[in-house]
Formats: sequence, C-alpha cells, structure tokens
Amino acid sequence: MADAVYPERPVVYNDAVVKKFVIATMFWGIVAFLVGVYIAAELAWPSLNLGLSFTNFGRLRPVHTSAAIFAFGGSALLGTSLYVVQRTSRARLFGGEALADFVFWGYQFFIVMAALSYVMGYSQGQEYAEPEWHIDLWLTIVWVCYLLVFLGTVMKRVEPHIYVANWFTMAFIITVAVLHITNNVAVPISWYSAKSYTVYSGVQNALVQWWYGHNAVGFFLTAGFLGMMYYFIPKAANRPVYSYRLSIVHFWTLIFLYIWAGPHHLHWTALPDWTQTLGMAFSIMLWMPSWGGMINGIMTLSGAWDKLRTDPGLRFSVTAVGFYGMSTFEGPVMSVRDVNALSHYTDWTIGHVHSGALGWVAFITFGAMYYLVPVLWGRRALYSTRLASWHYWIATMGIVLYIVSMWVAGIMEGLMWRAYDKFGFLQYSFVESVIAVHPFYVIRMLGGVFFLIGGLIMVYNLIRTVTSPTTELPRPNLAGSSVTPNLGLAGV
Amino acid sequence: MESNVSAIVVGLMMVVFGLIGLFLIAGAADNEMFIFGLALTGFAICFNFGLIRRHYDRHEAVRAVARGRTHG
Repeated sequence: MADAVYPERPVVYNDAVVKKFVIATMFWGIVAFLVGVYIAAELAWPSLNLGLSFTNFGRLRPVHTSAAIFAFGGSALLGTSLYVVQRTSRARLFGGEALADFVFWGYQFFIVMAALSYVMGYSQGQEYAEPEWHIDLWLTIVWVCYLLVFLGTVMKRVEPHIYVANWFTMAFIITVAVLHITNNVAVPISWYSAKSYTVYSGVQNALVQWWYGHNAVGFFLTAGFLGMMYYFIPKAANRPVYSYRLSIVHFWTLIFLYIWAGPHHLHWTALPDWTQTLGMAFSIMLWMPSWGGMINGIMTLSGAWDKLRTDPGLRFSVTAVGFYGMSTFEGPVMSVRDVNALSHYTDWTIGHVHSGALGWVAFITFGAMYYLVPVLWGRRALYSTRLASWHYWIATMGIVLYIVSMWVAGIMEGLMWRAYDKFGFLQYSFVESVIAVHPFYVIRMLGGVFFLIGGLIMVYNLIRTVTSPTTELPRPNLAGSSVTPNLGLAGV
Repeated sequence: MESNVSAIVVGLMMVVFGLIGLFLIAGAADNEMFIFGLALTGFAICFNFGLIRRHYDRHEAVRAVARGRTHG
C-alpha cells in the first residue's frame, strides 16, 4: 500500500526561548573574552590583581572558564539545539512556554550564582566542576527539565526520522547529566553551609574528576557542537550532509571511544600504569571518528565552495571544522605518555585548549549566530557582511597569536624544567622559566584582545541586523508576490 | 492545554524553590548560602510574576480577537 500523503500543517515554533539564548550567548561571549583578557594580563603583570581577593587569578580564572564553556558555549548549545529539534522534528517544544522559559532563566541563574560564588572564594577546587553542592543540585534540576523539553519534542515529532544533529545533542545532554552527577557526589558539612567534601578520595577522586573533565570536553564541547555543525553547515551551504552514513559512524565511534580517554590527564601520577595506557590508547583511536567528522563537515561544501567568499558566517563554520580537525589531532599526540612528559603542566596545554575553544567552539557558534539572527528576527540579511568579514580575520589573527605563543612558551617551559647540567642538577630554577615566558604571555594577551574586538564587532553587527531599517524584509505588495517573511513556520 | 499544565507545574515548583530559599536565608551558616537563598527566593518570585503576567496577556489577546470579531 502506498504511503498516505497528509497535507502539511504549519507548526508554530517556540522561537522566543531560542532568541533569549542567542542574546545570552552574545552577552556571555563578551564577558568570557573580557575576563580572559584581564586574567591573561594578570599573568603577564601580576600586580593587576590589585591586591584584592576577589580579583586575584585563582578566583577569576574559573569565572573565565565557566563563562566561556557553560555560559557562552552552554547558552549557544541549548538555544541552537531547541531551534534544531523543532525544525527537524516539525514539532513545537514539549512542555509549553513555562518549561522552556524555566530552562532558560534557570540556566542563567546557575551561571550567575556560580560566578558569584567563585568571586566570593567558594569552590570545590575541581577544574570545570568548581560550583559547590547547592549550585550543582540546581543545575541538575535545570538539566533534567532541558532533557524533558528536548526528549519530549523528539517523541512528539512528525518527521519519522531523528536527524543526526539530534543524536549528537541527546548524547550531549544525557552524558553531561551522568558526568555532572557522578563527579559532584559530595557531603555538605551542613544543609545551611556552602562547603562540602567529595565522597571520592585520593587517586580515585583524580580519576573521577578527569573522567568528568575530559568528557566535558568530549560531550559538552564536542558532541553538542557537532550537532550544531551537522545542522547549520548544510543549511548555510544549502547542501545535504556529504555522507549521512559517515555521520552515523562518526556518532557511534565518537561516543564509544571518548568516554575512556580521561586517564590521559593523569600520566605519570599515582594512577595505575595500565589505566594511563588505556586512556592513551583510546585517545589515539579518537583520531578516526574526529577526522571522519571533520571530513564530513568540510566535504558538505562540495559544489558550494564559492559561498565561502560571500558568506562570512559559513566561513566561520568551515574554519571551525578545520580547527576541530587540528585540535583533535593535537590532543591524541599530547596524550602519548612521552609527549605528555614534556607538555604536561606547561602552557602548551593552554594553547591546545584554546585552539579548540576559540577555533572550534567559538567559531562554530559565530557561524550559527550569523545564520540564526536574521532568520529568527525575520530580517533580509546581515546588516554588514563586511563587518562579519572583519570579525573573521581579526578573530583568526587573535587565535594565531594565542596558540603560537602558547606553543612556544609551553615547549620552552617543558625543555627548561627537564634540563640538567653536567653535575646532574637542574639547569634552571622555576622562576627563570617564568621570566622566559613573559613575552609570550604578553602576545597571548594581545591575541585575546583581538578576539574580544572581533566579538564586539559581531555584537554591533547583529544588533544592527535586528534594528536597522536596511535589513527589513520587503513589504508584500497588493498583487501578493513578495518574499514571505520568516515567521518560524516553515519546515526543516 | 499543554501550556496550562506546564505553567501550573512550573509555578508550583517555583513556590517550593522560593520556600527553600527562605529556609536557606534563615539558617545560613555562611555568606554564600545567605546570598544563594536570597537569590533563589527572588528568582522564584520573579518567575511566578512572569507566569501570571503571561497568563493575563494571553487572556487579553484572546479577548481582543473576540472583540474584533464582534465589532469589526
């Protein structure tokens, strides 16, 4: 029997919550870049901490990392995922406006409370898991509501197929929930006190922390943003995904392999050797899915390469995929125990993290924002593609300055720390390595300034896109032949 | 329908969070918990005001449409 053909009913999507997340993404992006520049300056000129406890590096550093990862990256992920799931499922968000709004405001509340607690000196002291128990509990509630909204929408979809971007997003939501809960099992000293102690001790604590930490990179900063890549690059290029089969292989191999790679953060520690080797082996295997995904993203432009000249948003997205390939090549190299002996504890790691965070995460987000803002606000096009181009080149220059200076500083530190003289004594004191990296710290800060300027240009451009009369859609004429404004009604 | 149920459930959740916030303010053993409790209560109150406002906005819109039909 032939499939019945049903007339398509327009779906009114909940774009209000997506718009809020887009605004939050831009706001937190600027905050993250600004605090990053300030603490980079503090590292170059320590007196900039002003002698105040709440502006010292130790307190502001988690403000920067949380603002970049959870506030900027998280708002982008939540917003775009709610946009994508509605279009690819042809269904309005599950749970009504109230639940979606709770996810938005609850998530912003988490960010503000976490930042405030760091500045006040409250921290679990675990990287990327700094918030204390009460803030962790709040995030768990918000995250479960996000899962409900997302899964509920997938379950009530009209489209029979679950698009691959939604698979990546589901892996991101579920795995981050498991990681967050497991790593943050802690006993508060009192229900009325912010201080708590983790239930894990010693090397087990370290292992659980880096199982969490690495998979925060793998599932928050990779899987979630791959979901973004698999929707926005095909949409901006107006081409189907290069190989849908490869995207499925990419998904399953990535999620199977990533979860084992955490122990490479603990090379040459009290962790058993076999565990370190396991982490290293799985990290090397990660080359396969990472590069498979990169090839899939880039080759989606087959036949549309010319758009890179005219569409700066797409240029951001494709460059992001290039950085994804580069940083996922570098990561496994650094996970090899002998390479790690040189790179660990040095600024090479910082350079690696930022090639991923600035080059991959921020660039793929910028690409999505340049695509989304005109669509969501019903505008004809961006206010200025020239400004977007300026943003692209300034931000790229910033990344180059950042990662090259950190590579040089990191390798120099590693070599200085392991240098012995003919009597077997260390050739350099620690402070000599600190003095040696000073110029590179200044260059790194300049790279951050470039990136911040690029971000400010983007914010100005997007605000003008929404407000300028030049970007308005043409009004329909009486004959009825006009461009239909985007009201969030269309299909995928 | 889904919207109404969602607003009621989320609204009740907010009442619980607001009360938890009050308890945290009352018993706080440190600055962090005091500020968190205060912020949680404030958040819950503002969110519920938002829900109430949206409820009346929607009613208003429906009434305006109905009025338009009758008088237009």
